[in-house]
Amino acid sequence: MVSFTGMLAIDARDVTKTFRSGWLRRRETPALRGVSLAVPRGAIFGLLGPNGAGKTTFLSILATLLTPDGGSVCVLGHDVVREAGALRRRLNMASGRPSFLWSLRVGEILAFYGRLYGLAGAPLRRRIDELIELAELGPHRRVPYSELSTGLKQRVALAKSLVNDPELLFLDEPTLGLDPDVSVRVRQHIAELRRERAMTIVLTTHNMREAEELCDEIAFIKEGRILARGTSGELKRQIGLGEVIALRLDPADVPWLAEAPGVLRCVTVGGFTECTVDAAEKRLPELLRALHAEGVVVRHVQVREPELEEVFVELAR
Amino acid sequence: MSWRAELLAVEAVLVRNALMASRNVFFFFELLFWPIVGVLSIGLMTRFLRLSPEQASFVLVGTIALSVVNVCQLEVAYAVLLDVWSKSMKHQFMAPIGIRHLTLGSWLVGIVRGSAIFALLALLGWWAFGFDVLRPGWLALGAFLLGCFLNAWVVGVAVCALITLFGNRAEAFAWASVNLVLVLAGIYYPVSVLPEPVAVVARAIPLTYFLDAYRAHYGFASEFAAPVATGLALSALYAALAHWAFLAAVGRARRTGLLLKMSE
Repeated sequence: MVSFTGMLAIDARDVTKTFRSGWLRRRETPALRGVSLAVPRGAIFGLLGPNGAGKTTFLSILATLLTPDGGSVCVLGHDVVREAGALRRRLNMASGRPSFLWSLRVGEILAFYGRLYGLAGAPLRRRIDELIELAELGPHRRVPYSELSTGLKQRVALAKSLVNDPELLFLDEPTLGLDPDVSVRVRQHIAELRRERAMTIVLTTHNMREAEELCDEIAFIKEGRILARGTSGELKRQIGLGEVIALRLDPADVPWLAEAPGVLRCVTVGGFTECTVDAAEKRLPELLRALHAEGVVVRHVQVREPELEEVFVELAR
Repeated sequence: MSWRAELLAVEAVLVRNALMASRNVFFFFELLFWPIVGVLSIGLMTRFLRLSPEQASFVLVGTIALSVVNVCQLEVAYAVLLDVWSKSMKHQFMAPIGIRHLTLGSWLVGIVRGSAIFALLALLGWWAFGFDVLRPGWLALGAFLLGCFLNAWVVGVAVCALITLFGNRAEAFAWASVNLVLVLAGIYYPVSVLPEPVAVVARAIPLTYFLDAYRAHYGFASEFAAPVATGLALSALYAALAHWAFLAAVGRARRTGLLLKMSE
């Protein structure tokens, strides 16, 4: 468990944002409809939701890139509108769709941002060396950004986001489009950042496994509202998806299982019959007794919680 | 922000723009091709029309000013354009950087490029057409170049404001706006030949005064009293207005979300 300092990294209350477009025919698109969220310092916090839910809008407000229409947002003790200048020194962001000046080389990109954050001379050179080593960009240090692969570009973005050793780091889909082995390394690295530097990290992702693996807490946002919030386990319980009893049966086809008391649904996956039940502790003995009575041999039993992905699907519905 | 942080932020932009300028083909065209073509074609036209050396100098001063202002203002506009083209606006505006750092860093690169162009065109004008930029003296030349660079700052920052206000659609302003200003400022003719309503506009443009002051050394009576002082005062006023407009445009882009749209 994370040792929270008691102070909040993010304290957002009733935040609203509506995008307006068109000169003659004004169109209004509400993006946030009263989002309130408190994130403790030192936590890795996940922001999940379908496309267009308002995740990036909310993240952009926290990062001072967007001004909220209403509500109050305090980040690291600073008001994001009135004290944006002081706040910017203490946070940073990496996006899953990174973009930097095409002709600049990796080292030059880091030097540019390093200078903006007040580094110069030997400390700047040392910091660039550290970040290049950290992001495993050594062989690509002198390569222009436009010639890098997607994975390397993302590593440059991650390195850039650490140039000021931020207290709060926003990661907007950090493993988007990365090879699985690279994604694993990025996730390891994110976990290390929190462990070694006590950095607060706010993460948006569509990868439920990533969210489950990394985040202390998750908020689910849809149509500009936070629908649920908690640990991965708490979310699963809040949604009331039940628990899954996976059975390998002989014979495999047992049609009456779906009708058994307490069974919410039943599907066959990879030779297993997966029954989602309201309470596994109560239903498992009942099912085993019934199967035994019908002469069905139970070769393997496994009880698990539903995947976060199932919670996502349920909430996004 | 401390002075050290201020200087570092300006240095960051300066180094970035200088690196970009040294690595892109279109920068080469801006720096060499078009200015040389301009001076050669205008210079040859003065020969064809059999203009007196003073009249030829009058036109060549305008041609050189056009190139210097154009290149320098484009460099200032690159403060925003480079990030618009590379879609990296959000990284820049999330960092602790003010628009003063952006515009000042770019302007310094613009001054270097503008000075290089001036030297090149002056050499070309002297070699091909016997035009001597030093005839008015170093002080007058310095005032003229200062005027060109200040005008470039004002136009460049105004272009940055327009791009930040209207997005990529306003990109054309970067190339078009300076020509409009320069036509009105009397590049190839004295302001006195303009119709009165247009001449009023011309008199509101600082470059008009710097051209007037410099040309006075080539035998053309000055049309204005204290042209350099007037040009400097107007430049200071417009620089403040352009800075405010850019600041307001960035604030609006943060409200409308355009800053993010330009990064996607």
